[in-house]
Amino acid sequence: MRELNTFGAVLTYAIEIETLLRDAYRETGMAAEAKAADRRRLRLERTRAEHVLEITLEPIHGLAVTDYAELHDVSTDLRDKEAAATAFFQDASPKINVRQAQRVLQRCAREHAAQSNAG
Amino acid sequence: MASRIQNYIDGEWVDAAGIDALPVHNPATCELLALCPESNQADVDHAVQAARAGFAEWRQTPLLSRAQYMHHFKVQMEDRFEEVARTIVIENGKTMDEARGEVRRGIESIDFALGVPFLMRNDGVEDISSGIDETTVRQPAGVFVAITPFNFPSMVPLWFLPVAIVCGNTFILKPSPQTPLSAQLILEMLDDLDLPEGVVNLVHGGVAASTALMEHPGVTGVSFVGSTPVAKIVYETCTRNGKRVQAQGGAKNYIAVMPDANLDASVMNILGAAYGCAGQRCLAAAVAVGVGDAYEPLKEKLRSQAQQLRVGYGLDESSQMGSVVSDAARERIEHMISEGEAAGAEVLVDGRSVDVDGYEGGSFVGPTILADVTPEMSVAREEIFGPVLSLMKADTFDEAIELINGSKFGNGASIFTSNGNYAREFKYHVNAGNIGVNIGVAAPSASFPFGGQKDSFFGDLHGQGADSIEFFTERKVVIERWV
Repeated sequence: MRELNTFGAVLTYAIEIETLLRDAYRETGMAAEAKAADRRRLRLERTRAEHVLEITLEPIHGLAVTDYAELHDVSTDLRDKEAAATAFFQDASPKINVRQAQRVLQRCAREHAAQSNAG
Repeated sequence: MASRIQNYIDGEWVDAAGIDALPVHNPATCELLALCPESNQADVDHAVQAARAGFAEWRQTPLLSRAQYMHHFKVQMEDRFEEVARTIVIENGKTMDEARGEVRRGIESIDFALGVPFLMRNDGVEDISSGIDETTVRQPAGVFVAITPFNFPSMVPLWFLPVAIVCGNTFILKPSPQTPLSAQLILEMLDDLDLPEGVVNLVHGGVAASTALMEHPGVTGVSFVGSTPVAKIVYETCTRNGKRVQAQGGAKNYIAVMPDANLDASVMNILGAAYGCAGQRCLAAAVAVGVGDAYEPLKEKLRSQAQQLRVGYGLDESSQMGSVVSDAARERIEHMISEGEAAGAEVLVDGRSVDVDGYEGGSFVGPTILADVTPEMSVAREEIFGPVLSLMKADTFDEAIELINGSKFGNGASIFTSNGNYAREFKYHVNAGNIGVNIGVAAPSASFPFGGQKDSFFGDLHGQGADSIEFFTERKVVIERWV
């Protein structure tokens, strides 16, 4: 089981989610959604680089990739993938002890929720 | 076959004249990464001559242009952020998060150097005497050298290099031969900036290269970070040779935990402070002092949390603690744990002989806690520089202060408390250069000097902050009369 037990592990997984969604939207010709996912990916990459101050690095508990299996299941439709992404970002944001990074994850959760509801 | 890396002198990558070379290993995988040349006197002469020749032009380069080079350097560091972090991991063994944190701290120092045009401004007084004006001018001082350690192979060079050169000096970096690849990458980025030849130079090697640099008449000043015995030698050698010097040595950082502290939050922070970078940092928490009733619950919570830390290869992002830098370091750390045990300490969590799947030959030491440590034990007095936390008990706050001030080191000390009076008394009475209140690693940001007292620092002006402007400049007083 892939553990998401460090700041870097959580942010890297978040970046993977956005990359996965960007590629999926591109494949289905949904350019605006693909662009939005790519913007989030860049924002998360910046967050991983800028808000990692070791003074605040603490172990993270209770997050695992298996809880978001729908994201990696090819049979899941994009709306359900968006719902799984929303759940991940909602679960992850309170686990991160850097306020600025938390805010970015919360914004991602809001955007995915809107996308999921828009269907 | 691993390649032999090169020096960077006078704007070119050149082979070192020195024939010998040291192997550079990935401490987790044992892979041979490179061969680091042992530069000799001829290499050092070459670098110093280039730096001196470059100084004449560089000091006349407008200050804003000098700062602008650092702006472009920062852009390069941001663009290659992940690559720099990965390089740190493969040669040092720390985790990716720790390496990214190191790169970020290094970039902070570049940011600070962008403010040098403001910080180098002069002051002056008109009519200090009848018709006489008096002003001070800051000027660059010449060729500066930094001899930097393995534990922060990217960040520590950046404590010195950006400020030194924006102040108008030229610079020679001599990184640790255990971790030369991060420095190689820094110089690769600087090379892309098309700085004038000789402004920045890289000389690889060990003791011979360091000694030649410290004794060279063409060198103005030396910045050093390393162990206390070597810092003493650096300080003595440089002062004997008429150079300014800042030599940062080892540490034994104490953390006092008061009964009124938020214990859960304190323990998580202390874990990071003790085991971050596998304890190989000069601000690592080495001794936690539980005061009064705090001792037993502190001991229990630390034991249970430390056991859960996942030790592994730094490039695997689920690793919460990486390897130490070498097998020799692992052996030394394990020996000191055994010494503590033999002296009567209880090995509450034992990191000796830790198994890491897939990296059986790696230089790993797991999180270790030694409990019931007493002041006369070597594990209470000497720097271990590994993931080992000693626990001591003090009956009162005053006794805790006495224990802390009894250390020959004075790099950092922290207190965890919810009582403002304890915090104030701690700040007031503890003899250490960096004080933390509810913070385990009291690491100053780039705009503050990196403190250090007693055997943790030799010199007058510290690295970083306003001290660095003083260190890298010469002040001249101009007294004028025109009437």
